[in-house]
Amino acid sequence: MKKYAYFPGCSLEKMALSYHKSSLETTRVLGVELEELEDWNCCGATTYFHLDEILANTLVARNLAIAEKQGLDFVAPCSACYKNAYFTNTYMKEDADLAEHINYALEADDLQLSGDLNVHHLIDVFANEVGPEEIKKKVTNPLKELRIAPYYGCQIVRPRKNGENVEDPQFFEELIRAMGANPIDFAYKTRCCGGSLLLTNRPAALDMIRHLLQNAQNSGADVIATACPLCQVNLEAYQTQVNEEFGTDFSTPVLYFTQLMGLALGIAPKKLGIGSELVSTLPVLSQFLKKEAR
Amino acid sequence: MDPRKRILIIDDDPDYVDGIKAILTKADYEVEVAYNPKDGFKALESKSFDLLLLDIMMGRGAEGVMVARKINKDPELRKIPVLIITGIREQMAFLFPGQPVHPRFLPTDELLEKPVEPDLLLEKVSALLEMAKEKTV
Amino acid sequence: MADKPTFSQEISNLMYAAHGSPLNECIQCGTCSGSCPAVEFMDQTPRRLIGMINADLKEDVIDTNTYWVCASCYQCTVRCPSRIDIAGAMYAVKRYSMWNKTYADDLVGPVFSETFMKTIARSGRSYEPILAPTYIFGFGAKEFFQEVQGATKMMLKGRIPVLPPRIKRLKNFQNMIKRIIPMGDEE
Repeated sequence: MKKYAYFPGCSLEKMALSYHKSSLETTRVLGVELEELEDWNCCGATTYFHLDEILANTLVARNLAIAEKQGLDFVAPCSACYKNAYFTNTYMKEDADLAEHINYALEADDLQLSGDLNVHHLIDVFANEVGPEEIKKKVTNPLKELRIAPYYGCQIVRPRKNGENVEDPQFFEELIRAMGANPIDFAYKTRCCGGSLLLTNRPAALDMIRHLLQNAQNSGADVIATACPLCQVNLEAYQTQVNEEFGTDFSTPVLYFTQLMGLALGIAPKKLGIGSELVSTLPVLSQFLKKEAR
Repeated sequence: MDPRKRILIIDDDPDYVDGIKAILTKADYEVEVAYNPKDGFKALESKSFDLLLLDIMMGRGAEGVMVARKINKDPELRKIPVLIITGIREQMAFLFPGQPVHPRFLPTDELLEKPVEPDLLLEKVSALLEMAKEKTV
Repeated sequence: MADKPTFSQEISNLMYAAHGSPLNECIQCGTCSGSCPAVEFMDQTPRRLIGMINADLKEDVIDTNTYWVCASCYQCTVRCPSRIDIAGAMYAVKRYSMWNKTYADDLVGPVFSETFMKTIARSGRSYEPILAPTYIFGFGAKEFFQEVQGATKMMLKGRIPVLPPRIKRLKNFQNMIKRIIPMGDEE
C-alpha cells in the first residue's frame, strides 16, 4: 500500500470538508494511504507571496519538512497549496543559500528539509500513481452517460513544471472515462476561476465565473468536476450572484472529482460529503446515489 | 593619514542610495553600491571593503538577513563591520504592529532605522571603522 | 560599480533568481494581454504595463490597478515567447508598492494580503470568518450583502468553522518566522 503525507490545507478543515472526506474514502478503496501531516500550518495560499517570498517559502518548507520527517512524499488536494509546495521544494534544491537560510529558520521547530521528497497534487496520485486502468478495475457503479466537465483550473498545470502539456492536458478526461462517465469537450477547462479576486475584485471574479459556467453549459455539462477548493467555492457558491448580476439562470452542480470517483467506486454518498452542496446534485446524480454501498 | 576607507552599500532603493552615497562621499569615503543581494555578495568576494551598509527588505523578502548570516559564516568576510540601515519596521508593521526590530536575530554590529540623520550616520560609520581597526591591532 | 538601476531593473531585482533584466526582453507581442482572463478589468493591459515598466514610467505603473487585478493564473507566463514570468512580475510590482506604501487607500488587495498574513502569524492557520470583517469594509453595500448571504448559506451547510484553528507548536512556529523577519518580542 503506497502511503503519502497528506496536507489538507486550511480550506479542507471545514469549507471543503466534502473534498477531505471523499479524498480519504476514495484513496482507501484504491489502496492508497493518506497520512495527515502532523501539526501542519497554512501555506500562504496565493495572497502572501506579494510581500515576502522568503517567508512564504519558509511557511511551505515547514510542511514539507514534516513530511520528510514522516519519510513520505507530499500530497496536497488544493491547487494553490500544491503549486506553493512544488516550487518551494524546487527552489530549496536549486538555491543553496536559500536552503541554508530556511533550514536555519526550521531549526526553531526542530525540523530540516533536504528537498529529497516528491510533491504531488492529489489528482496526480489518481492519474499517474494509481492510474486509470487500476481505477477502472475497481469501479462498481459506472457513471454511465454522465457528462462531466473536467475543470483543471490554473495552478495544477501552471506554471509549467516539467515540460508537460499546459495548453490541452488530458489526464482529467482519462480519470472521468475510468469512472465510466463522459468527459465533455470543455474549452475553458484551464481558464482561471478568479481565485481570491472574489474577495479583492468582485466584478472581475464574477465575470470570470460567468464565462466558465457559460462555457460549461454550452458544452452540455451535467456537472463540473474540480480539483481545488477555491475553484469549487467560486464556481458553486457564487452562481446565485452571477445569475443576479448577469440575468443568467445557471444551476450547474460543481463537485470534487473525488466525490464523483467515490460514487463510481460504490462508496456511500454520505461518506463522500454529498448533500452539502449549494446547487443541488439530485437532478443529475439521483440514479447513481446508492445507499447500500461500501 | 589612513588611505580612504572603502564602504559598500547593498540596498535596492536607488533614490535612498543616492542620498546616503552623497553624504559618505562628501565625508571623503570611497563608496560602491550594489542594488541587489546577489551583486552585493559578488562585490564583497571580489574586492576588499572596510565597512558594509546593508538594507534588509530586498529582492524576494528579507534577503539582508540572509546576506548578513552568510557573511558571518565566512572567516574572512566576517571581519568587515556591518551596519544595517532598514525601513523594515515600517515595511512590515502590519505583521508586527508596534514591535521592535531585533538586532539580536542578526549577526551584525549596528542597526539604524530609516530615515537616518546624516550626522548620526557619519558618527556610526566612523565608530564602526574605529572599532574594526582596534580589533585588528 | 553598478549604475543606478532603471525601474525595469528594480522590478527584476525583486523577482526570483532574476539575472539581468528579463523584462527588457519583452517584444510587445500582446500574447499576455490576449490570454489574460481579467484583462477587461485592468486599466492597463499586461503588455502595456511591461512597456511602461521598460519605459521607466514608475509612478504611472504604480497607479494602475493591473497588478492587483492579476489572479496569478500564470496563463501569460506559460505562453510568453520571451519566457518572461509575467505573473511573477505582477507579484514583484505588488511587493514594490506594498514595501513603498504607494498603493491607493481604497484597494482591497493589499488590506486582504496584510490581514491574511497577520492571521497566519498569530495562529499558524488561515481562518475565513476572521478575514471577512477586516477587508469587507472595502466593499460597497451590495457586495457586503452578497458576502453575508453567501456566508450564511455556507454556515447553514456546516461549511464555515465556528472556532479559529490553531497549530500546536505555535511558539516554535512564531520563532521560525522571527528568524526570517527579525521583528517581534524576544524568543
